Amino acid sequence: MSHHRALRPLTIAVGAALTALALTSCAAPGSGTAAPASTADTISAKVTPADVAKLGSTTLAVWADQAEQPLMKNFIPAYEKTYPNVKVQVTYKSFDDLLATVVNAAAGASAPDVFEGNIGYAVDGALVKAKLVRPLDDVAKVYGWTTGTGASTLAPARWDAAGTTFGSGTLYGMSPISEVQGIYYNKSKLSALGLKPPTSIADLEKESAAAKSAGEVPMVLGNSDQYAATHIFSDIAVTDEKPAGIRDWIGGKRGTTFETAGNEKAADTLKDWVSKGYFESGYDGLSNEDAIAKFAKGTGVFFVGGSWNGASLNADGFGFGSLASGGVGATASPWHISSKTKKTAAGIAWLDMLHSPQTGQWILDGGRLPVITDGVKAGDSLSEETLNALKETIAAGTQVGYYDWSTTDMLTVMGGALQEVMAGRTSSSDFTKTVQAAWAKGHK
Amino acid sequence: MTLLARNDLVGVATPGRRRRAGTRVSWSSLLYLAPALLFFVVFVVYPICTSVQTSFYVYDGLTPSTPAGLSNYVNVFTDPDLRAALAHSLVLLVFYAALPVCIGLLLAGAMSRIRIYGLTVFRAVLFLPQILSTVVVAVAWRGLLASDGPVNWVLQHIGLGAVATSWLGNFDTALPAIGVIGTWVEYGLCMILFLAGIVSIERSLYEAARLDGAGAIREFFAITLPALRPQISIALILTITFALRNFDIIWNTTRGGPGTSTTVPSLYVYLDAFQNRQLGQASAIAVVLTVIIFLVVTAVQLLLRERSGERRASRGQRASRGRRTA
Repeated sequence: MSHHRALRPLTIAVGAALTALALTSCAAPGSGTAAPASTADTISAKVTPADVAKLGSTTLAVWADQAEQPLMKNFIPAYEKTYPNVKVQVTYKSFDDLLATVVNAAAGASAPDVFEGNIGYAVDGALVKAKLVRPLDDVAKVYGWTTGTGASTLAPARWDAAGTTFGSGTLYGMSPISEVQGIYYNKSKLSALGLKPPTSIADLEKESAAAKSAGEVPMVLGNSDQYAATHIFSDIAVTDEKPAGIRDWIGGKRGTTFETAGNEKAADTLKDWVSKGYFESGYDGLSNEDAIAKFAKGTGVFFVGGSWNGASLNADGFGFGSLASGGVGATASPWHISSKTKKTAAGIAWLDMLHSPQTGQWILDGGRLPVITDGVKAGDSLSEETLNALKETIAAGTQVGYYDWSTTDMLTVMGGALQEVMAGRTSSSDFTKTVQAAWAKGHK
Repeated sequence: MTLLARNDLVGVATPGRRRRAGTRVSWSSLLYLAPALLFFVVFVVYPICTSVQTSFYVYDGLTPSTPAGLSNYVNVFTDPDLRAALAHSLVLLVFYAALPVCIGLLLAGAMSRIRIYGLTVFRAVLFLPQILSTVVVAVAWRGLLASDGPVNWVLQHIGLGAVATSWLGNFDTALPAIGVIGTWVEYGLCMILFLAGIVSIERSLYEAARLDGAGAIREFFAITLPALRPQISIALILTITFALRNFDIIWNTTRGGPGTSTTVPSLYVYLDAFQNRQLGQASAIAVVLTVIIFLVVTAVQLLLRERSGERRASRGQRASRGRRTA
């Protein structure tokens, strides 16, 4: 014991010295971060395999969402065949993990050449602000992305110079995958109840009442991850709110507000659905993943979600009701080219191949929705219904995006606040006030 | 070189030469420590210092930072959400520290008194929660506590169907439900610590107590509990630290919800660091949390410190035991 005590002053002295050393020897955090060298040469003609061949035998480092794995199995061999001097080295990350680490990876010394970000302030905003991704306006122009069916889907990847608002401005990313929200229904239960596939929120409400009185669980919801209910909320809100207004608010346009009658009404509707028992009880304790698995196994008549849920459901048993009133949706995580890469040509070739009908077909076959809808064919009725819903929403201009893009913490703030309203613990005006306060804090 | 170092070690160990070793910094022994010390400095000291430094800046991890003075700390103490999170942590202390120690004592007391066949197996099984990855634990408990999970199934079949709820999805039950998971994880550790402590208690004390007519309960409070003071102290330090810095169980069950009913300070550290990219704010919360853990643990240590008289007694016990086994 006493031996230890004798050592203690020495330990403390060494510790204090080290602390002082560490504190004084380093400058302010981030002071060493130089802005990456300004963008590589812009292109004025398509990148050819010969251009890529000039890089010599090389490796393209890629970071992708785990969910892209089925697509990449088809895509990478095709890419390596077209550009034989390039070997693709791909790192898969779960979506959560990708969001948490990709920005730091892009800022690091061994940044991946090509990687997926995510729309909104948390990831893409940070990437743009720190100049870690190459502007893609020249690429979009040369490859004609700005015309044709996918053109409007580029908007969420456009940012102003300061990285403070998005939706228009310079293009920094491209996503080949699109998403659409809607209502999945259990075919046999729906016909047993004598109901037709719902095509509006009003339909859904009416049919849920019918299902409830017939002793069925009307809607399956898994909201422990706090985001599933916000999607349903947006489906309801867009029936009253103008899509352009929602888009502006999400994009951070000054002077816009969430405290509107339409949003309050939508929150009240959700609360009403809970009190009428339209959702299976215990939804806040059920993860979204577990919920879709339950629905796939036959619990419930409806599952209000989006095309990303489609892969869990088979076309024989389930159908997709598009929301003609304004099916919301958005593009999925955009791909970026690192501003640090020395293999820009290979990166542009990567994006070009992603933005092709062939890739679109692979995406659709994998149960997701491509941005390029021309020239792709759906394999079964469920994917055809979702594809049609997507085409409708793109044509109608109701792809407003997701609320959680609006600030870095909106997913948590809005998700939590919506749980409170739905449980009847706060009012719908408290909810819109909380959300707007977080928005205002994020857009000072 | 090696020889010299050896001489030095001997020097430290021999009482007669202790003084010399104490006044002169023995550089060769520091050399032995160097690899571990280097690891410690690079992976513990340096990050801690960087965190402390970052907490005085506004920093997104990418672009140059701007000094923020004490504003990050002001936020920590004025943000009502953080205060609520801290209150949740206090509730969790009961479940993560107090309950596991009580259950551990109960089990250890019972195991030491009753002869149980296959004791090793029981011990291993009861210790299992401590070995499992907390993510696995969280996912398993999410299933157990679901509205159609086994817990509710049992409740319904014993006539308590009215109590059944979605334990993690209900505003009133989510926090205690997470607490129960923590209790389950921690009690095995406490039990093992206490069992190890009980082994070193002089058997003759129990014999004497029994001769004096003490029952099991009296024996426990008069002999076992006081003798386990150092183990209880260690168990509390470990469980309290686990309780206050716990993140993974909460993140993998409720993400702080429903609403904000299960938020804890470490959840905000994660959100601010990895989601909001406010590394300065995240560091400030982390620093305050570290200081709180340090204070609470110090308080526990002081409260449960062995008084000098007792220490001598327990040493005597150990010495006599040592002689006997030798």
